[in-house]
Amino acid sequence: MALEVTNIVKTYEMASEVVRALGGVSLSIEDGEYLAIMGPSGSGKSTMMNVLGCLDTPTEGDYVLDGETVSNLNDDQLADIRSQKIGFVFQTFNLIPRSDVFHNVELPLVYNGVPASERRKRAEAAIERVGLGDRMHHKPNELSGGQRQRVAIARALVNNPAIILADEPTGNLDSKTGAEIMAIFDQLNAAGNTIILVTHEDEIAKHTRRVVRLRDGLVESDYIQ
Amino acid sequence: MKFLSGVYESLRIAVDALRANKIRGTLTTLGIIIGIVAVSLMMTAANGLENDFKESISAIGTNVLYVSRTPWIVHGNWFEFRNRRNLQLKEAEKLEARLDDALAVNPTTGTRKNIKFRSTVMEDVRIIGTTDKYIQVSSGVPEFGRFIMASEVQYKKRVCVIGPEIRERLFKDVDPINKKMKIGRFHYRVVGIMEKQGGAGFFGGPNFDNQIYVPITAFMANFGGTNRNFDIAVKARDNVDLSDLEYAIIGEMRKIRKLKPVEKDDFSINQMDTILDAYNNVMGVIVMIGLVITGVSLFVGGIGVMNIMFVSVTERTREIGIRKAIGARRRTILIQFLFEAALICLLGGAIGLLFAYGLTEVINRFVLPASISIPIIFLALVVSAAVGMIAGIIPAFRASRLNPIEALRYE
Repeated sequence: MALEVTNIVKTYEMASEVVRALGGVSLSIEDGEYLAIMGPSGSGKSTMMNVLGCLDTPTEGDYVLDGETVSNLNDDQLADIRSQKIGFVFQTFNLIPRSDVFHNVELPLVYNGVPASERRKRAEAAIERVGLGDRMHHKPNELSGGQRQRVAIARALVNNPAIILADEPTGNLDSKTGAEIMAIFDQLNAAGNTIILVTHEDEIAKHTRRVVRLRDGLVESDYIQ
Repeated sequence: MKFLSGVYESLRIAVDALRANKIRGTLTTLGIIIGIVAVSLMMTAANGLENDFKESISAIGTNVLYVSRTPWIVHGNWFEFRNRRNLQLKEAEKLEARLDDALAVNPTTGTRKNIKFRSTVMEDVRIIGTTDKYIQVSSGVPEFGRFIMASEVQYKKRVCVIGPEIRERLFKDVDPINKKMKIGRFHYRVVGIMEKQGGAGFFGGPNFDNQIYVPITAFMANFGGTNRNFDIAVKARDNVDLSDLEYAIIGEMRKIRKLKPVEKDDFSINQMDTILDAYNNVMGVIVMIGLVITGVSLFVGGIGVMNIMFVSVTERTREIGIRKAIGARRRTILIQFLFEAALICLLGGAIGLLFAYGLTEVINRFVLPASISIPIIFLALVVSAAVGMIAGIIPAFRASRLNPIEALRYE
């Protein structure tokens, strides 16, 4: 099993008011699944993604990722989990602007303490895999939006994560480029990677096999399409 | 391994960041450069002054005590010493006869006279009457010819040994040895020229290179007058403790001067250490004040670095968010920004040292025998790195604590 969350509750205190972003969500995701988390804004989608991505800890409930309980770890332990088990793909790409493609992709391995020679091998393999072998030493501002997102995908892949979390990965791309990016996700899933897409576009969700809809911090529906 | 690759990554980021903001980095570095130049020049100048001073008192022998009418450095009331009896030549002779621990006892006295060679005149030159033992109690040696001999002292011979400056100014191109020159109204034959001692007249002290030595007996016959004051230099034997000798001298002098037990000493014992101590006291204070003042400029430079680091952290909030999201720990981010601050300061320190080196060479050529020493270089670099670390710690700590979710949302 890739991950299992049980009765996750997340509350925020905002100006003496307690906001309940997640109101007890349970979800289990198998290895190799291709899943979309959907929902309108305010549904708790982002909070769900932050918790699943170990960027945030739940107020209540258990989260077991890749066999490890991560629901009550501290900042640095969470950072280690992120560098080892999670690959992020963001809507705005979020590459380091001053570093070239190679260094951007290599970075999670640096934080993971992987030796330089192995880093090189793995980063180059990941870059080849998204079809940017000839752009290895370009800076992000020398690349198109689609190419940047490919770099981000390569970065998410490079540490062989238990899950790849993609937050609106095509949101900043035109539909043709978006389709190319989705094709890469399809390939990755076919190769056995567990992929979780957070999106509000049905078009994107169609690529996946399973759709989880959230509304007001609760699971509204969970079905295989 | 994890730590090392993190450190390397931090260094690389720091260099990148500096390259990306060249003007900003240069201006920030300038503050540190100025601070380091000020501090290291201050230390270099203090060193130079000390070298100069030591050179200037080097003619005063080590392991030598000087019996004088008054102390060299007077603390408190000068009037206490003003009415003391002069030290007499007889007293020097008696002291020599009574002291077993003394290797040499040498009386000296001095006056100022005009001197003349052919048509060249020098006015108001210091003339020292002394004995053949002067060589033993001072560090001066003749460079050419010889010093005064015992027989010349015994027979009141009118011979003299001149300082190198006298040779330069009075004799110019003529070889002075065996030439006759006039000291006051009397003809003296030059038998030797002293080696250069340097450090001319530091803080108004005597210039040993600009004086003339004559046998004390001839001095008394020609320039003596009545009731002249002498200084008596006593050189200790090799295995004799200087403080033991001092007690012996005080005891014998009291007997020679027939002082009653209730009476205070009416003479003083001086040594090189008294001058050194006084110098060190004064210089210590001056150097401290100087370091504080120049330290302020370094401090201001440090504040500049801290300011720029805050800017740098704010500007790169999003980048910090990305790095944290993909697995950077707090410590990794902390080290990244500390490195950046330290690098700015180290760079400033290194450039500052280059400037300070150049300025020191100038000072060395025209003002003082100053030099930048390895410890100063090392200290300056350590201090500048430390300033960077201290200036960087608060901004770096703030960066390391950023919440990745909020940092990623930062525009």
